[in-house]
Formats: sequence, structure tokens, C-alpha cells
Amino acid sequence: MSTSRSTRIVLYVYGVIVIAFLYLPLVSVGFASVSQARYLSFPIKRYSTKWYGEAMASSTVSELLTTSLSVAVLVTVISVVVAFFGALAFARYHWRFRTTFQKLILLPIFFPQTVLGLALLMWFNSLGIIPTWKTAVVAHLVWIAPIATLIVAIRAYSFDPALEEAARDMGANTVTILREITLPLLMPGLVSAGLFAFLLSWGNFPLSLFTTGADSTLPEWLYAKMVSGYSPLVPTLGVMSVVGSFVLILAAFAVAWLVRVNRDARVAQD
Amino acid sequence: MNRLDGKLGFLSALPLALVLLLSFLAPLVVVALFSIMPPKVFSLANMPDFSAYSLFFSQGYYKSLLWSLGMALCATVILVVLCWPLAYAMAKVFGRFSLILTVAVVMSLFVSENIRLFGWVLTLMKGGLIEGHLRSWTGVGFEGPLYSVPIIIFGLVYVYLPFMLFPLAQGISMVPDDTRQAAYDLGASRWQVLWQIEVPLAAPGIVVGSLLSFVLAAGALAESKILGGQAVIAIADDVETAFTFGQNWPLGSALSMILIVIIGGLALFGVSKVDLDAIMGRKR
Amino acid sequence: MDSPGLLRLRGVVKRFGNFTALKGIDLDIAEGEFFTIVGPSGSGKSTMIRLLVGMDEVTEGEIWLRDKRIDQTPANLRPTCMVFQSLALFPHMTVGQNIEFPMKIRKEAPAKRRARAEELLDLLRLPRRYYDKRISQCSGGERQRVALARALAFDPEILFFDEPLSALDYRLRKTLEKELKDLHTRTGKTFVYITHSLEEAMVMSDRIAIMKDGQFEQIAVADQIYSAPVSRFVAEFMGEVNLFPLRAGADGRIESPTLSVRPGVALSDLAPGHDGLLMVRPEYLRLADSGGSFDFTLSGVVHGEYALGSRIQYEIKTENGMVTVEKLREERLSAAEGQKVTLGFNAANTHFIGEAA
Repeated sequence: MSTSRSTRIVLYVYGVIVIAFLYLPLVSVGFASVSQARYLSFPIKRYSTKWYGEAMASSTVSELLTTSLSVAVLVTVISVVVAFFGALAFARYHWRFRTTFQKLILLPIFFPQTVLGLALLMWFNSLGIIPTWKTAVVAHLVWIAPIATLIVAIRAYSFDPALEEAARDMGANTVTILREITLPLLMPGLVSAGLFAFLLSWGNFPLSLFTTGADSTLPEWLYAKMVSGYSPLVPTLGVMSVVGSFVLILAAFAVAWLVRVNRDARVAQD
Repeated sequence: MNRLDGKLGFLSALPLALVLLLSFLAPLVVVALFSIMPPKVFSLANMPDFSAYSLFFSQGYYKSLLWSLGMALCATVILVVLCWPLAYAMAKVFGRFSLILTVAVVMSLFVSENIRLFGWVLTLMKGGLIEGHLRSWTGVGFEGPLYSVPIIIFGLVYVYLPFMLFPLAQGISMVPDDTRQAAYDLGASRWQVLWQIEVPLAAPGIVVGSLLSFVLAAGALAESKILGGQAVIAIADDVETAFTFGQNWPLGSALSMILIVIIGGLALFGVSKVDLDAIMGRKR
Repeated sequence: MDSPGLLRLRGVVKRFGNFTALKGIDLDIAEGEFFTIVGPSGSGKSTMIRLLVGMDEVTEGEIWLRDKRIDQTPANLRPTCMVFQSLALFPHMTVGQNIEFPMKIRKEAPAKRRARAEELLDLLRLPRRYYDKRISQCSGGERQRVALARALAFDPEILFFDEPLSALDYRLRKTLEKELKDLHTRTGKTFVYITHSLEEAMVMSDRIAIMKDGQFEQIAVADQIYSAPVSRFVAEFMGEVNLFPLRAGADGRIESPTLSVRPGVALSDLAPGHDGLLMVRPEYLRLADSGGSFDFTLSGVVHGEYALGSRIQYEIKTENGMVTVEKLREERLSAAEGQKVTLGFNAANTHFIGEAA
């Protein structure tokens, strides 16, 4: 059965509406960030970029950015390494507790993050660890490492296990196989997992809320200002955070595209 | 399963298993232990007295739980209905547009949810994007819809849409085209095909999507805080208050435990029902 | 086949939990032999090859290669190589890198590797410019040749094949079967091949082993397996066959519930007082109505006629079930559907299987 033309058009329109629905609030935040007034009201009377100037100059903002960035980078690096091996255990190797392991990984993703953050706070407290941004890294990992693992696992499922068996059959040992076969084949999955890990950590606040101690990440600060005293910097920093994420994603797409073009060019020479 | 695979599987699972053991399972044990401590203690070196659980009923915390579960249920039902046509189109109708839609939805996930919810406040508030412009053009304004139960459900639908959409699309893509065609060929109507063929075959996706949305919505905090004002109190809000303002860790832990048992039960039920290998596309 | 076995299996057993996949296999494969293991799916042939290559461990028993016991040696240290069903060509490497992979693992110098790779491209009749081609740009037949070149690269003692042709279309498969046979002759290597296709086995092999339920039913040259199967299973596995229950009385006289037996006919394998099955292939059945004398006759009604290309197959309905007859197109029967016919065949064209009906 092929869907009728009118149904198709309706579905496309619906898809566009959903995208608009998802991004409408960001449009409001965007407008708010360039409003000159201290107390926002639409329609905006005078536009100004002064809040961006203030944000750039503020030492609080640069501290927030540094903390968020440090957490995200550390979470990304650890997640990718853990996910590489985790995905192999998840998808590739047949071992005794594989299905149990698969289900264990899913649980943190299903878990309310606020509760998880609080549980970690109590755990750190009973261990005598004072929470800082480093403990937030641990908190983020609980949620992000499983997601990264799933992303790499999808890639691991898509290649034939016989490739590794063939390499072993031809004399390669486990380390060589991981380096020469598995790693290159999983690379696209690892890159997306790293991208996801960074962005999810960058935007996360429920996990950071109770686990950063005296430090504060950008989303945490925004939340605090939203529920207590409003600051005109909230929309501005929100936009900066979003733009930062999107620039990273675009860069990733650009790199992927360049790699493909480069490879196609090499092939075309044959 | 041969010996080498067994060994490699165990070794490669080790890092992630350790992360989860030390920072997921161990904290849960601590929560469970704290929940049976006497009120307002900050150490586990006390005689357990289970008093915190009795507060759940006597202090009316069960109302928050019911509100949270009720709103989560509403949001989940709305999400299934809203996402089904789109998921269907992504799996079967859209070609390249599927990819664009996927990228757009995933990218929205990377924006901190409180920024997005705050954006809705700016959009819907009195003097916000919609009301403000309407008033300046027509001169007629209206009270913003903020700070009510429906707007909290709206927020839940908005935030958890991707968690319903993607599993649903995955589930629908697992329905072979020829079963649908065969059903039409045998004389089934559009509705019969939907209920007799597509829904049963896409069931794993529906189950995963619904569970994920429900569980996350039931434990949500930001929607009721940012969009709902204090119209109703979500259970996660009570948990947070008990820890911060109330300085009563055992109470917070007991409330958490109740939430964890409900959510954990559902999550375990859900993950035990689905074959991950099949959903994620195992070869061989 | 009398030379001492290059590869020897002694009492090899493989169990997966409660399931026994291989039930005590003994086997000798000679150097330079093209040995094929045929069996339906679930017969244990895939398990068998995984044990031989070293991707699974034996539960009991020994595997010997020349004078070395190898059943405990991991796959990467065995001097054997396998061509996979999926070919398992590395998609992120070029044709050349694929072929050189086993030599790179053995740390051979780049120049030497390159020379060997080109030599192998020549051997497999692939143009040398394919060295830099990506795997995704090769056709099915070319990939097959690349996989063969890669398997030959480190000069393994034995080449194993796990149904490498099963995914290809009919014509390409036929071409590659002949190429493989030719490659075997030119390299002089020992080939051990598993397949579920009897046709493939018959075209290429020196010897064929028929496998069923984790055991060998029969190991013999192709012709013998076809004309003298040891069991009903082998007989039926090797194509269309008619089986008639027989019994020899105490006086040696043959009795059959379905066949009329000419007095005085004797079967050397059928001892007095025993029973079994008489096998006759469809091409040995003749029409008896037109005269001539036959050791065995039966009658029935023509039930169906099916064209099989060069041959025509008839189904004759008898009182005790269907009998299959095949004729070359030019020898087609003159009987029409529904017509009563009498069929006959001679003892020389039959084979007796001492297995109860």
C-alpha cells in the first residue's frame, strides 16, 4: 500500500509543526536575550546586545562556563572509553551474564535523575567525600555512560562478528583485533557517542543539582535564577549555551562530510 | 558461547559494571538504609525506626505521589496519540525528511530542559511572546495559561516527546510492510489493520516508549516548578524539599524509595519484556 | 587415501549444555585432498568446522595436524585458515590491505607483502590494479576471489570453507565451483569444505562425508555415495530415490509387499531371514509393458509429469504410494496421465540397504 498524496502532505505538515513546537520556546528565549529592558515583556520595544556584553565581562559567567566545560570534557572522555568496551560486552561477545548486563545498563536511563542526584549526595556523604564538580562527573557518568554504550552497541550490532573471527583465524591476537578491526569499525559510533556524551553533560541539570557542592554548572545557575530571583542574564546565557551546542554539532557534521568527500575523492582516482 | 568470548565479555563489561556498581547500585543501598533511619539524622549509625514511612500517609505526601503518577499517565497517553502518526511517517513514509526530523528532535534534547521550559514561560506568560503580540495587534489580551495542572502536563508532553517518538518509530519500522499489505489484500480496513496488525507488531516499541515517558515524567521536577508554579507539588519536589529546606534525609529517602519501587518495578517489567538484541538490530 | 592423514580427529565430542552437537567423530583427511562435509542444517557441520578452525573448543577428544595435537591451540596460532560464509572481508580496508592482513600480523616487510599480494591477485585472476580498490566496489565474484587470496596469503596448511557460495546466484555459483576445483588442483592445498548442497559437493570433492545428528553417516567418493548409500537418510539426501521394503525367507526367496519378484533373483547383501530396503534411482525404472524381462516389476497409474529441463520426471501412483521415474527428454514415456503402466528394473541397478522400513 502506498500512502495517498494528501495523507503524505498532512504528515509532512505535521512533522514541520512538531519541529516548530520543539523550537518555539527557544525562539522566545532568543528574543528575550536581545531585549534591552531589565524586565521582559513582548513585543520587545528596543533591541540591544548589552546583556551579551555583560555576560562576556562577568567573572561568574566564565566560572560557570569553565565548570560546565570541565565536567563535560571529562564525562566525554571517560564515557567513550567505558562505552567502547561496554558495547562489546553488550552486543558482541557471548558471555554468561550478557542479558543481565544489558538490563542493568538500561536501569539508570529509566531512573528519575533528581532522585539519583540525591542518592549520590548521600553516598558521597557516607564515604566522607565533599561534593565538587568532580563528583558531578561521577553523577553524569551514571546516566551518560549507559547511553553512550547503547549508541556504540548499535554500531557493534551492525557489523558481522565473523570479521573478528576471520582476523583471529589469520593469526591476530585479541589486542591486534581490537586495534585493527574493532576500533576502526566502531569509530563512527564512538564519535557519535562522544558527541552525545558531551552535549548531554553540557545541558544536564538534575544530576548536577545536588552533586556539584559549592561549584555550579551553567544549567544549575540558570535553574536557580529561574525559580528564585530572575536575572536578565538568564535568556542570554541560555542562548549562549544553546549556540555552543549547535556549533559543536555543525562542526561534527562538517568533519564527517569532509572525511567522506576526501574518501570519495581518493576512490575516484582509481 | 566459547571460553574466549566468555572471558572477553566479562572483561569488557567490567569498566561500565564498576561505574554502575559504585555510583548507581551503592547509592541506592544508601537511600534504602537512610529511609529507615529516625528523623533528621545525617549518619547511618542510628537505630532504624521506619518512622519516615509513616509520614508518607500522615503528612499527605501520598497526594503528591498521586498527582505525579496521574500527570505522568495523562502525558503518556497524550504522547502515544500525538507521536503515533509521526512515528509511523518516520518509519514508513518520510525518506530524507525522517533524518532531518531525527536530527532536529535529537538536537532539541541537547538544550538543557530548564532553558526550554523557561522558553515556554516566556512564550505563554502574560506579556509573553504570544499574549504580548496578540494584545499589541488586537488590543485584546488574556490571562496566561501558566501555573495550572494542564500546563504541567503540557510541559511533560513537550519534554518527553523524543522518548516516546523514537521507540515508537523503531517499533513501527519492525512491522514488515508485506504483513500490512497482506491484511489489506485480505479485505481489512484501515482501522482493522491498525488494531489487528500494526499495534500488536509494534508492541515492543509502544511498551518501551510508554514506560520511558511515564517513568521519566513521574520523577520529573522542573515542569511543575518552572511551568506549574506551585499549582501542585510533584513527588520529586517533595523529595527535594525534604533534603534541602527540611534537612530531613530519612524522609527524603523514604519518599525516594517509594518512587523508586514504583518506577523500578515498571522499568524492570519493561526491560524484561523486550528483546534488546532484536530491537537494536543484531545480525545472525 | 591411504597416505597417513594430515588432519586426524579422534573421538571428538562437542556439547552445548545438555545438547550434544557432535557425538564422537573420528576422521582422517589426507594431504592435498578436497574433502567435503554435507549435511542438513542442524547436523553439526558448522560446529565441526568451528572446532577445526579453533573458534570453539572440543568437549572431548583430540584433533591432530601432522604430528601436533591442536585441539587446545587458539585459532590465531593454528596454521589453518577459513573462508567464511559471509567472506568477512574487512570493509574499512582496500583489497590489497585485506590480502596483506595475515602477513602484516606476522610482521612481514611491506615490500614482501606487496609482492605476495600481487602474486595472489595473479593466481586468482584479478587485475593488479584491484590492489587499491575498496571492498564495497567489488562484485560478488570478485569478493569471493579476494577472500580466497587473503586465505591463501600466509600459506596455511589447510583451507576451510564454510558454505562460501551459498549466498550467490546460480550461474556465478557454478562458475566459482569450477574455479575452486581448479584452484585446488593448482595450489595442491588441502581443502575442507562444508555445504548443505549436494550438487556443490559432487562437482568439487575427492571425498564426501554425509553428516546427520552429530555423526557421519557415510564417508566415500561421490559416486559411491550416490549408488551405494549405507542408509535411507543418505539415499534420500542424495536426490530422488525409490525405496521398496524387502524380506528374504528362510529358503532365501525374496518377498516384497509391493514388488513382483522374478523367481530365482537373489541379492548378495540380503541374508535369509533378514529384511531391509531396496533402493533404485528413478533413472533405472523402465516400462515393462513393451516387453523385456525384469527382475522386479510393479504396476500403477501415471499420476503426474514434470519437466526438469533435460529430464522429465513422472510420478506413478501405486497401491503402496508414489514411485518416481525419470527419463531423458528424448526417451519420454508414451503413457498419458491416468494410464495404467507396469514398471520394471533389474537387480544390477539396485542397492540393498539393511535398514528396517
